[in-house]
Amino acid sequence: MAVVERPLGGVTVPKPPETNEYAGWESWLTTVDHKKIGIMYIVGAFVFFLIGGIEALLMRTQLGTPNNTFLTPDVYNQMMTMHGTTMVFLAIMPFNVGIANFVVPLMIGARDMAFPRLNALSIWLFFFGGLMLYFSFMAGGAPAVGWFAYAPLTMKQYSPTFGVDYWIIGLLLTGIASISGSLNFIVTILNMRAPGMTMNRMPLYVWMTLITSFILVFAFPSLTAGQIALLFDRHFDTRFFNPAQGGDAVLWMHLFWFFGHPEVYILILPTMGIVSEVLPTFSRKPIFGYAFVAYSGVAIGFLGFLVWAHHMFGVGLGPLANAFFSGASMLIAIPTGVKIFNWIATMYLGSISLKTPMYYAIGFVSMFIIGGISGITLASPPIDLQQTDSYYVVAHFHYVLFGGSIFGIFAGMHYWFPKITGRMYNETLGKIQFWLTFLSFNITFFPMHITGTNGMPRRIYTYEAGMGWDVYNLISTFGSFLMAFGILVLVWNAITSIRNGPPAPNDPWDGSSLEWSTPSPPPAHNFDTIPIVYSRRPLWDTKYPDLDAAFDIGTKAVSRREKIEQEKARMGELPTESHIHMPSPTYSPLIAAFGILVAGFGAIYISVPFAFIAGLIGLVILGVGIFGWVRDSRRDSPYLVSQH
Amino acid sequence: MEMTHAHEEGAHSPRFYWIVGGVLAAITIVEVLITLIHLPHPLLVPILLVLSVIKGAGVIMFFMHLRGDRPPYQVMFLIPFTLAVTFILFFLLLFSQHVGIAG
Amino acid sequence: MSTPPTHTTQDTHGTPSSHAAPAPMLGSLGVDSRKLGVWAFIGSETLFFAALITIYLIMAPVNMARSDAQDPKEFLDIAFTSLLAAILLASSLTMVLALAANKRGDTRQFRIWHLATVILGFCFLGGQVYEFNKLLHEGVTLSSSLFGTSFFVLTGFHGTHVAIGAIWLLSTFFKVTKYPDSPENAMDIELAGLYWHFVDLVWVAIFTLIYLI
Repeated sequence: MAVVERPLGGVTVPKPPETNEYAGWESWLTTVDHKKIGIMYIVGAFVFFLIGGIEALLMRTQLGTPNNTFLTPDVYNQMMTMHGTTMVFLAIMPFNVGIANFVVPLMIGARDMAFPRLNALSIWLFFFGGLMLYFSFMAGGAPAVGWFAYAPLTMKQYSPTFGVDYWIIGLLLTGIASISGSLNFIVTILNMRAPGMTMNRMPLYVWMTLITSFILVFAFPSLTAGQIALLFDRHFDTRFFNPAQGGDAVLWMHLFWFFGHPEVYILILPTMGIVSEVLPTFSRKPIFGYAFVAYSGVAIGFLGFLVWAHHMFGVGLGPLANAFFSGASMLIAIPTGVKIFNWIATMYLGSISLKTPMYYAIGFVSMFIIGGISGITLASPPIDLQQTDSYYVVAHFHYVLFGGSIFGIFAGMHYWFPKITGRMYNETLGKIQFWLTFLSFNITFFPMHITGTNGMPRRIYTYEAGMGWDVYNLISTFGSFLMAFGILVLVWNAITSIRNGPPAPNDPWDGSSLEWSTPSPPPAHNFDTIPIVYSRRPLWDTKYPDLDAAFDIGTKAVSRREKIEQEKARMGELPTESHIHMPSPTYSPLIAAFGILVAGFGAIYISVPFAFIAGLIGLVILGVGIFGWVRDSRRDSPYLVSQH
Repeated sequence: MEMTHAHEEGAHSPRFYWIVGGVLAAITIVEVLITLIHLPHPLLVPILLVLSVIKGAGVIMFFMHLRGDRPPYQVMFLIPFTLAVTFILFFLLLFSQHVGIAG
Repeated sequence: MSTPPTHTTQDTHGTPSSHAAPAPMLGSLGVDSRKLGVWAFIGSETLFFAALITIYLIMAPVNMARSDAQDPKEFLDIAFTSLLAAILLASSLTMVLALAANKRGDTRQFRIWHLATVILGFCFLGGQVYEFNKLLHEGVTLSSSLFGTSFFVLTGFHGTHVAIGAIWLLSTFFKVTKYPDSPENAMDIELAGLYWHFVDLVWVAIFTLIYLI
């Protein structure tokens, strides 16, 4: 493990005074610090992940044996809906955003995100949206229409409880959080990089976060429009998706999947970024084909908008539509494959260090390959007509979402655990936990390929005996409980390590990116001096100045020390900071988010007399929050502060 | 590393804005008058679309100062705009009831 | 409304005065963070309105083919709505004039043009309310036909955005008036203006696609 001996930046600037206007739990409620917000996201995501897991266990218990009566059909449907909605919107997305929140500003040499108060709004809206969604259980019943909420099942007459309305408004709240968060990341990554960090020198995790953020702000509006239309259909008798009145249920499908397909890239791309950081570090080699991996991400982001109707091959769109979407879906396998080959090439001839993050990263690559292959078969309409709506699809997306996204997230959590908590996790426990998870995951989901191919439909609460599905379902159920145990081991490792783990050094993995130059955990202002970046691996520049590196294709390799001198001469004199200025903590984003929550309740019950009053009250609270927010921004204004 | 002191990008005189405004108003009047002529649909639609695009471009380029502004702002608008137009065209095609294309 | 923390290597000394534009806060891409953020937000809103417009365009022929069809040509008053379109376009003009006035330090002109924008915005809203009322009385409602459904949701949400824009403009006006020496005023006005122009742009599209074609 190397220690950074020399700072990366220029002149040391006096640290800002530790202003502790708020202490204890209040400091969390008022924080605008990306690190605290990141931690809250991760903890919140993990809690929802556990809840979603319990919903899965309930489903698997029901499906373990044929003709089971453990759950009634309606309760099963609620579990199914909430499991999917929770895992997608309340677990994986916030996990990704939380890790990115903590890591990205550090990786680019920034002191915080571009819009810290907006960042705080996002975390509170995420919490409130999630709580609102779960409140539905106590308000007449959770939504029971699947996470995709197809019309006309979502019509008032077929879904009479307020469950669907909670789904709509809860997700609108988290949607605002997500869009704000993505706007924040876009501006931060583009405009807040340390001097010398060109786009070409950014870590790949930052690239993937940037691409994901663009996808998000362009994909979510379609969902928003559809959800608003659905809300109006349910409460104002509009005719958007009501076939009896001239509406079109397929319109919902198109609007939803135009969002829904880019959404799955939102779920996977950040974790591909994590893997692109972990594999090189634990192979002690630079990533192979940096530019290819980066631009493949861009290609995936772009192509991801052109394939949505492959979720609709069974609808009867017609041969031309099917052909187009099939071709585009197969095309997207190319940039994906490019990434996979580059990851494998990164490991090839590397000095592999098998630590827990590396296990999960390699697990990601292998499980994602399996999930990707089943995805390719699904991209062919004639094959898909057999496979759609069967457990084959369930197997496919769990391989890419769990074997892919979750494994990637677990890799990242272990990788950055020392940085975030200041402690080392228990490596032995981590390895045991990995194997438990890896094995139980495959035991749970692999049989689903078989049951699906043998005709078992998805989205059913029970099945007849003797269809050839019984033993596989039992195996899956067994696997799911084993997985639950594996997750408990993860929780145990996390808690005991945070309490009693050995203190973590700055740079436990001998990393190459900027976050490893800070203490574990980093101080509020992240860097004493903003680092100046001369290459893709700024920490290797200082730790291993005699290491040779060819910085450009076709040029002779020079030592990193020499390259730095060349870059310094080329970049010339850079202005220095006169002081460090951090944004102040404030309640305003929390108040604003709460106002939106109250207004949201008004929207859910909009057809109930006087419910609009809740909407008005919510807007007033929002106004108060915004007023305070503007006041905060004036107080924090760098122009005014610089006068001192 | 950018540290240039950016002078006013695309600053125009008030007179210029009045002229642009006048042009936009004139185009709007022309648009409305054209609908009174009862042109056949395949002719009317492209004409109106072109006129609206010109109006829109005027607002974007001159009122929103995108012309002559730094490229990141321009890219930040053009990408979603292109995606939006593609979205509309795709959906119109998918719901066009042409046999074989969709439905 | 948020201010990025000054970690950039730009020297932030500057004497803000109401007459000289302060050194712009440029980041690693050479742009102002808030402006970049607002443009990205506008990009997102573009997709949102594209979806609502698409829904309208898809439903238009289906509406006409039904027995309970309501023909927009029958119910929509082109003359009146042209006036609304002119009002909104005029408000865009006054907005950019306000911005220009503020940039050259002409406080009086800024106040006149900025308030004019707000007033024109409220005129537009008033006109929309009037038009909606007229339609309701003529039997066009959210549920009366596919036209009613798609029309009211599209124009209703556009109107909502106009209202939000008007409030934003008004707030900016009060803030700039109360703190005339604040060096962020120029950007505050520009950002509010960008949103306002966008709302006008959407109307250009709606006016053509819904009213004229």
